[in-house]
Amino acid sequence: MTEVLVIDGLSAGYGPLRVIHDLDLIIKPGERVGIVGLNGHGKTTLLYAIAGLTGWQRGSIRLNGVEIGRTRSQGPGRYTHQIVRQGLAIMPQGDEIFNGLTVEEHLDSGAFTPEAWRDRKARKEKILDLFQPLAKLMKTPVGRLSGGERRMVSIGRGLMTDAKLYLVDEPSLGLAPKISQSVMEALLSLDIKDSAMFIAEQNVALLEGRVDRVINMHAGKLKGEASSSFNFATA
Amino acid sequence: MDIAFILLNALVIACIYGLIAVAVSITWSSLGLINLGYGFVFSFAGYGAWLAATYITKMSIVVMAAGVLAGALCGVLICLIVFIPLHDKPNFTTRGMIGTLAISLVGSQALLMQFGPRAKALPEFFGNWSVNIGGTVLTADRIGIVLCSVAMLGFVVMWMKGSRRGLEIRAMMMNPHAASIVGIGIRKTGIYVMAITGAMAGLAAVLLSQTYYVAPFSGLTPLIKGVSIALCGGLGSVQGAMIAAIILGFTEAVTSDLLGGQYVLITQFLVIICILIVRPRGISGLLDKAREQ
Repeated sequence: MTEVLVIDGLSAGYGPLRVIHDLDLIIKPGERVGIVGLNGHGKTTLLYAIAGLTGWQRGSIRLNGVEIGRTRSQGPGRYTHQIVRQGLAIMPQGDEIFNGLTVEEHLDSGAFTPEAWRDRKARKEKILDLFQPLAKLMKTPVGRLSGGERRMVSIGRGLMTDAKLYLVDEPSLGLAPKISQSVMEALLSLDIKDSAMFIAEQNVALLEGRVDRVINMHAGKLKGEASSSFNFATA
Repeated sequence: MDIAFILLNALVIACIYGLIAVAVSITWSSLGLINLGYGFVFSFAGYGAWLAATYITKMSIVVMAAGVLAGALCGVLICLIVFIPLHDKPNFTTRGMIGTLAISLVGSQALLMQFGPRAKALPEFFGNWSVNIGGTVLTADRIGIVLCSVAMLGFVVMWMKGSRRGLEIRAMMMNPHAASIVGIGIRKTGIYVMAITGAMAGLAAVLLSQTYYVAPFSGLTPLIKGVSIALCGGLGSVQGAMIAAIILGFTEAVTSDLLGGQYVLITQFLVIICILIVRPRGISGLLDKAREQ
């Protein structure tokens, strides 16, 4: 079986700044991987690099055996929509929502493949089961929602299409502890089957015991061997 | 002074400028391009309609469709020549504006070389009848212009609200970065946007040709007015552009009735300046329901 994500010698950054230094990482099918680290150590940049959103990058990134990395220096986001269509679901930090669209339109916009668009109704139901507070907000513009509700919308949007790899960036950021707990619970209760989930998080306690392994990121490098990193089960 | 007559005039003018202003507005907010190429799209669509009328048939529906199609085609052409090569280059806003302006000038000059300076007349689309309602005579072309442009605007608004492409375009208008995350490609969306806005400009050209003739540089005034109305409405807002079009249509109708046609541009731009002094980012801010991030 091909690995969901194979990163080989990836460096990335913005302009003269190099944030990620020669990083290697393998994520296997069915795995939930957490990545922890302090602010400014490159967690978000790593996720951005996978999505092709950094200023420049070089090195190989293979998503389900398809090369999506290559070297590029101009136009962050130029190929993102193509990479996303290879089977990447991104739930970004800061939510990246469309202020004027309603919750329902958001979820629709997440269903960008023909199959997902066809049965978007059933998929929306599933997401409403997961995030029940959204059910009565379907017709509300997202600009009026609270931070927690927005987070649910942005995660729900990422779940509308079946992806090979789910990238979740700081799902608990800026939320009250109780809400971040419930968002995390919903996220980790998903049955991801052969796909994989990659969660960047600062709050290790939220990940503890719920993910298959946790990788530590420090100064743009993964600490220790990425494939044999700290494991809760054996520790 | 006949109030009903002025209101009717205002409505007709507002419809035609509204079409262009909404087109400019949609292009700006979704693609970040101030498309000055609509001047050329306008003339091109006029000549498209004229060619259809001369060589195919004078049936009004065919001629109008030819004009709208020519407009859409021309929009796609501008997208391919200017937008796609330039959109990810630094300083795209200025470059795109200059690029489309160049297309407008070169294209209009090409039309001049091809068809000569003589203005062409299109057949009357809506016949020659008129109805009298409460002492005001409604001529066929006015009713036709209003109905056609309202239908087109209605179609565009419905399409943007209801269809999947419309959803993609609106998503791109609000947050291009997030749009790429949900698999919306800017180049492909650009072609849709330019085709639909080109069609709107094309319809405006065909409708205006009922009053004026088709000439190589006939698109210049509608372009300038369309862009300033879009600016006044708050670039990027469809409702704002429509409201601004109604205000300026009314200004134009009142001015030409009370002072005379030669003062129209003066009062119109005075009103635009006043609106922009009071609300520098246009009218649309008053309509915004969702708060900024």
